[in-house]
Amino acid sequence: MKTIFIILCLLVATPLMARPISYVGGHTLMANSGYQSDVIYWHYTPSINYSVGLDYQRDKISDESFSSARFTYLINRKNTAKSQRNLYLKTGIGLSDTDNHFYALAGDWETRRVFAGFSATQTSGIGYEMFEQTVKVGIAPYLGDYGDFHTWLMVETKKNDLDDERITYPVLRFFKGGALMEIGYHKKTDWNVHLMYRF
Amino acid sequence: MQAAHHETHDMGDMLSHEGHIHEQMIDGKELAVDPQRFDLFISGIETDTVAVVSVQGMVCDFCARGIEKAFGQDNRVSKIDVDLASGKVLLAYPVAADIDAADIEQKILNNGLNTSAIQIVSQ
Repeated sequence: MKTIFIILCLLVATPLMARPISYVGGHTLMANSGYQSDVIYWHYTPSINYSVGLDYQRDKISDESFSSARFTYLINRKNTAKSQRNLYLKTGIGLSDTDNHFYALAGDWETRRVFAGFSATQTSGIGYEMFEQTVKVGIAPYLGDYGDFHTWLMVETKKNDLDDERITYPVLRFFKGGALMEIGYHKKTDWNVHLMYRF
Repeated sequence: MQAAHHETHDMGDMLSHEGHIHEQMIDGKELAVDPQRFDLFISGIETDTVAVVSVQGMVCDFCARGIEKAFGQDNRVSKIDVDLASGKVLLAYPVAADIDAADIEQKILNNGLNTSAIQIVSQ
C-alpha cells in the first residue's frame, strides 16, 4: 500500500509513449513533437521484460540536440481477461554527454473501453533540471475488432517544476494495424503530436 | 504468471459432429468461442484441428498483432483468427499432432500476455 502511495505521489512524465515494450523480437519507431522537444525514438524488445533503444532529440528549452541510449524495464504486469496493467522504469543517457540523462516511472491500466496512465520523469544535464508529472485518461467511444480503425478520446494533464503550472488538454488517439497517432492541443503549449509504428 | 488450463482430451472425444461445431462438445464442456465465428474460421479448412486459446490481457490491436505475427511464422499453423472481444485466438493445424500447448503458451507469453485455457477441437 505504501509503495502504491509513493508511486501515485510521483506521478510525472515525458509524453506517455504508449507501449514502451513490444513483443519479443518486435521493433517500434516513435516520433514526438511538442513544446519541450522533438524526439525520434527506436526500440527493440529482446525480452518481454525489457526493451533497448536509441533516440535523437532536439530540446527546445536548451536548444540542444543530442542522441541517447534508452532502456525500459517492465517492473510489473498484470493481465486479466478484460484488462492489462503495467508498471515501467525508463531510463536514457546521452551518447556523447552522459550528463544528459533521464529516468522515469510510468504505468498504465487499460481495458478495451478505458485507459488510465501516468508517468513521472526526472530530466537532467541539458542545461536544466526538470521533474515532470503526467496523467492521462481516455475512453474508446466504440469498440473495434482486431484490424479496425480504433479511436480514443483522452485528457492529459501535466505539470513540471520549470513552469510550475498544470496544464490540461484534450488528446485524440487513433490507431490501425501497427500504426498509432496521438494529437493533443493546449493554447499555451500548442500542438503535441506523437506517431508510432510497430513492426 | 498464471498457468493455463489445458483441455487435453482425446481428439475423438472432442469431436463435434462432422462439418459443424456446436456450442457444447460431446464431453459436455462449453466451447469457449462464438459458434458463428468458429464456423467462418473453419470454412475451407474443415479437416484441420483447431486450438481455441483463451488469452488474458489482450485489450488492444497491438497485443493482437504480435500474436498474429508469432503464429504466422509457425509453419504448423495454417490459419489464425484473433477475437479481441472474447479474448480468444483460434489456431488451425492441418496435423493435429503438431499442436504443442507449451509452445502456444510461450508464444502468447512472448507477447506479454497469458494463456488461461486451450481447447482442442477436431472436426
